[in-house]
Amino acid sequence: MTTVNEAKVALDDSASRPMSRPRLWLRLGHAAAAGVVLLWLFPVYWVVLTSFKPIVEINSAIPSFVFEPTLENYRDLFAKFEFAGVLLNSIIVTVATCIVVVGLGVMAAYALARMNVPGEKHLALWILSLRFLPPIAVAIPFYIQWQDLNLLDTHVGLIVVYVAFNLPFAIWLLRGFLADVPIELEEAALLDGLSRLQILWRVVVPVILPGLASTSIFIFVFTWNEYLMALMLTSMNAVTVPVTISKFVMPYTILWGDLSAAVVIQLVPMLAVVFLLQRHIVRGMTLGAVK
Amino acid sequence: MALVFEGIQKVYPNGFRAVNHLDLEVKDGEFFTLLGPSGCGKTTTLRMIAGLETPSAGKVFIGGRDFTRTHPRDRDVAMVFQSYALYPHMTVRENLVLNLKVRKVAADEIERRLQEVSRMLGIERLLDSKPAQLSGGQRQRIALGRALIRRPNIFLMDEPLSNLDLKLRERTRTELKALHERLRVTTVYVTHDQAEALVLSDRIGIMNGGELLQVGTPQEIYDRPSSVFVAKFVGTPSINLVPVTARPAGAALALGLRGADWDLAGITLAAEDGVATRLAQLGGQAVLGVRPEAVTLSYQATAGAIPAIVELIEPMGSVNHVVLRFDGPGAVTVDDEPFVVVMRSNEPLEHGARVWATLMPDRLVLFDEQSGEALATLSPRREWCAPRSSID
Repeated sequence: MTTVNEAKVALDDSASRPMSRPRLWLRLGHAAAAGVVLLWLFPVYWVVLTSFKPIVEINSAIPSFVFEPTLENYRDLFAKFEFAGVLLNSIIVTVATCIVVVGLGVMAAYALARMNVPGEKHLALWILSLRFLPPIAVAIPFYIQWQDLNLLDTHVGLIVVYVAFNLPFAIWLLRGFLADVPIELEEAALLDGLSRLQILWRVVVPVILPGLASTSIFIFVFTWNEYLMALMLTSMNAVTVPVTISKFVMPYTILWGDLSAAVVIQLVPMLAVVFLLQRHIVRGMTLGAVK
Repeated sequence: MALVFEGIQKVYPNGFRAVNHLDLEVKDGEFFTLLGPSGCGKTTTLRMIAGLETPSAGKVFIGGRDFTRTHPRDRDVAMVFQSYALYPHMTVRENLVLNLKVRKVAADEIERRLQEVSRMLGIERLLDSKPAQLSGGQRQRIALGRALIRRPNIFLMDEPLSNLDLKLRERTRTELKALHERLRVTTVYVTHDQAEALVLSDRIGIMNGGELLQVGTPQEIYDRPSSVFVAKFVGTPSINLVPVTARPAGAALALGLRGADWDLAGITLAAEDGVATRLAQLGGQAVLGVRPEAVTLSYQATAGAIPAIVELIEPMGSVNHVVLRFDGPGAVTVDDEPFVVVMRSNEPLEHGARVWATLMPDRLVLFDEQSGEALATLSPRREWCAPRSSID
């Protein structure tokens, strides 16, 4: 009761009395957070703005905020630079990588979490340590090997590399989610007559769906934005969006209009995926399983 | 189906001996309860029946066949888990029929059994809900239903009622008993709640530290506990333990309160030959177990009665728990625990009153003071009796 009354009093007096200390700090905190968010969002805002500007406005020395929007840059992008194919490459490579990584990752993580693999702790750390490797260290070896295997500039070549890079991280993440699945759930399934693989797909995977969703988001973002390996291992047929964007920076000029349009297009699927899967990243799927 | 354990041992890789040389037979259709404190090995035993643990030594027979190393899937035992372990992403219906589907039972048979089980448990209206939408009691029912629908050879239950509140627990207990009376499927039930064990079981096995201490009907366990541990574990309020001296008197034993001059006149225990020898070794020192309802109180001094002061009266509704303090030199209980007597609550009794407590000679157990083993008992097979203490 007292808290309600106090809250009422505070509400009534807020106009006449000076703000209480904790409240002041809270407001300052909010202001600071808002500032940081604005700072982070400004480049995004600017890029979106630029992508709709006519060339003249883009190259103008005085930044302009009011102009007549045009789709010229986008038209240019698809007409002159065959951006549709590039976009398709990115989508194929990223989606395939996500599926393979999550599929293999969940099985590997399950084995590590539940099946008494000898030296399981060392193995888990060793798997993660693959991730410590700077990509540039293996870029050239990969290039040479891919050349021998005829995998240069192919979707498969890029997908294999991305799977290798992302799998350790996925295993590590999923292992944590799997550890939270109550063991009784699997034992109940075992007594219900399910095989190990059936238990994994019919009981465990649906329970850790939120974990799969967040893992997928990470893998999607990493792969969608990957630049170095794509630059090294592709040239024409399998070129991805980040590599193409970099090509708008030319020796004597920068094609700001096309570049901005490409960046905006690259941003859209990422935002879509995050918003789409965000719904699933709600913990509490396991609620009701135990107790 | 009957269940037999032969020399079962379970030693975990870290050296912990969970179950030590267990020999046990559970008869076909019996409701058998493993009772004991946490960590006594009862759940491990249950899990070995299910096949979730493999014994380190010994054999498990189900219906005469050796099932020691059979995969859980091929055992045809159903288990109700303490946490229920319902599949959270499936509806109640899917939870119930998953097993039948995996075993490729015909669709119309599945539907028939589903109807039957949901009617039996009164869960018809819950079939399309998800476990998270249900209350604890409802989830417990679904877990039970998931086991029932399979019509298994053996039911295993691991503290299935411990997550329910008291009222619901008692109601479900009654239903469980009725269900077993009807179906008569061999059931092994694990609990640390002695009341649950007494109410439900045909027979009880008491475990402690991985050992099976005693097996018997609830009445046998209560009346003739094999050791101090069993006596203390079963029965509320707990059994009273009094240090006594026991002297051979002819073929019987005469008892006296140790440290006091009180001779428990009129109480003699018939003892086997070995007991007198053992008592002689112990210098005649033993511990007498007295059930709280096996005492009568009187305001008048009588021969063999122990003088005491009423220290506390705890009303329990139909009965009162009366805490006594012995009023003699040196006459105390073991570990100074309160001496509790159960009395009908309509008996007039004043706080601080001086009373004489007479022990009912037919309900006493004499224990070896060192080993805790029962030496002699005077309780012959007798009718279960409500607290019948009275004051005259």
